[in-house]
Amino acid sequence: MSFLHIHNVHKRFGETHVLKGIDIAIEKGDFLVLVGPSGCGKSTLLNMIAGLDAISEGELLLNGERINDLHPSRRDIAMVFQSYALYPSMTVAGNIGFGLEMRKVPKAKRREAIQRAAELLQIENLLNRKPAQLSGGQRQRVAMGRALVREPQLFLFDEPLSNLDAKLRVDMRTEIKQLHQRLGTTIVYVTHDQIEAMTLATRIAVMRGGELQQLGTPQAVYDDPNNLFVAGFMGSPSMNLITARIERHDDALVARIESPAGDVTLPIVRDRAALETWCDRDVILGLRPEAITDPASANRQDGEIFEATLEVALVEPTGADLYVVTRLGGRNINARMRPGASLSPGQSTRFAFDVSRMVGFDPESEARIRDDAAAAMGTAAQTETLGQNA
Amino acid sequence: MSAGSIVARRNTLARALLYAVLAVFAILYLMPLYVMLVTSFKPLEEIHQGNMLALPEEWTFAPWREAWGSACIGLECSGVHGYFFNSIRIVVPAVLISGLLGAFNGYVLTKWRFRGHKVVFGLILFSCFIPFQIVLLPMARVLGILHIANSTTGLVLVHIVYGIGFTTLFFRNFYESFPDELVRAAKLDGAGFFTIFFRILLPASIPIIVVTIIWQFTNVWNDFLFGVSFTSGDSAPITVALNNLVNSSTGVKAYNVNMAAAMVAAVPTLIVYILAGKYFLRGLMSGSVKG
Repeated sequence: MSFLHIHNVHKRFGETHVLKGIDIAIEKGDFLVLVGPSGCGKSTLLNMIAGLDAISEGELLLNGERINDLHPSRRDIAMVFQSYALYPSMTVAGNIGFGLEMRKVPKAKRREAIQRAAELLQIENLLNRKPAQLSGGQRQRVAMGRALVREPQLFLFDEPLSNLDAKLRVDMRTEIKQLHQRLGTTIVYVTHDQIEAMTLATRIAVMRGGELQQLGTPQAVYDDPNNLFVAGFMGSPSMNLITARIERHDDALVARIESPAGDVTLPIVRDRAALETWCDRDVILGLRPEAITDPASANRQDGEIFEATLEVALVEPTGADLYVVTRLGGRNINARMRPGASLSPGQSTRFAFDVSRMVGFDPESEARIRDDAAAAMGTAAQTETLGQNA
Repeated sequence: MSAGSIVARRNTLARALLYAVLAVFAILYLMPLYVMLVTSFKPLEEIHQGNMLALPEEWTFAPWREAWGSACIGLECSGVHGYFFNSIRIVVPAVLISGLLGAFNGYVLTKWRFRGHKVVFGLILFSCFIPFQIVLLPMARVLGILHIANSTTGLVLVHIVYGIGFTTLFFRNFYESFPDELVRAAKLDGAGFFTIFFRILLPASIPIIVVTIIWQFTNVWNDFLFGVSFTSGDSAPITVALNNLVNSSTGVKAYNVNMAAAMVAAVPTLIVYILAGKYFLRGLMSGSVKG
């Protein structure tokens, strides 16, 4: 049985249906990241887990116990808020210890726990300060200390890094990850930043418009997206989405893509059976920029490389990589090449496509076209186990 | 002469004119206070010489002593000190209780919203616009039923009832911008309704507490209409006593004593302004949330 079950949870504010039946289950020690564009309902879901918003329909189970109607303070959950929400009139020590004080923990024990949390977060020297005297990063640490000190069953983070500047954000991200590894706690973390989601999560739940789009490990969500939205949302630069026609050439199934220099045909190797039913119809192909490279840096060991000559439209060096833009299927396509490649716009060069990483989507429903439909629903297996508990 | 210095000279002229006007108005406003003060320190004969603006030739505290301890109000000749303490007895509980109730109302109307909270707030707000005169008769009836007519307790009740509208308005608007996340965090920490109010909100409300105290203190202390309507004799507040003192002097009018008594009546509000104003700090909220 899973540690945290979110079972068919709905949220309605009057007429508006904010969450439309969310099913998520995670194990103890998991780091679940809820990610999606603003307004997708991820923060609402988090508030419902915390008990700050009522659940309109469905069930919430923590460690086997139904917590739907439990008061927030009884759920054994701690939360780090986006605005930190430090109590302005209390010192840092007072802020961290407030939850323990409310739970009537004796003073000596409280002081010990505060000290321990402060050491863990390296804020011992700030304990007597007021929140107003702290920098953004320090406030963030205090907010985390306030959650840590109670040693709850579950931690909730509501976009905790969004108020920090870019550099500090990356540092704190690493620290949160280290903290999770060291303490082995279970965390539910909300963000709209897909890089944060990828780096921190053990499980990612991609949400849109109150619906769960995909639940899975970061790698699964990245390599094996459920639909066009997930494919486009995760990854930066985002996945190339190319319109192509599926055709049969003798025995081989290929995708024919228009390009100014003449059509490119790429062999279909992944989800072959499913894509075969799309013969002589248009699909949308997805290929990550790192799956389109120069022939020299192509991964011939794990991938299946297919080469084509295309014209370079634009070159974007980032230092570590060289992004080369070309035209395919009427769109700009990003390819990641080695930084040394000397290319200039207008020049023709060889592009290596790793067709083993190519995925197909239904242009109408935007759903993924794949062979194993059961595995496709990353959530299907989860839903099943949930059903037993309901 | 360069154009720049012409502009500069014109500027200085404008400045001088501005300050002159300000000075004239300041003098105009301070004049009555000055006359009151110098008169209160003069013996009566000196006042009769007629030069109101002159400083006392012979400084005397006798009028102040008389006003405080022995001036006749009606038939009683023991000065205004009893009435002064009546006013203190009215103003302290009235300010504290109406302030606390207003703070509670503001807290509930912003952080524990219920269906129809806007209507309730609208009705409370409406009470701010009811003129004193309208409530005189109903209030007299209520005080009669409660058996607290003609007592300082009765006046405390009147001022609390009348003050709640304003104190609620102040606190509601202040708590409206108080971050909800703090309340949510406190809930998760296990704090209840009253703990959140007393430990989280109230300590962060110093600026609005000061505003409320200044407003309520001046209103209650300076009230004459309720005092004169609902009390008489021993239980009257100082504003009523001052009126009676001035009206009950027989024979020669003791202007110096009247002035001293008026000063006694005015000093507490002045002190509240000076003391409370000092604590009127800004930025107490900074640091709790972003920015």
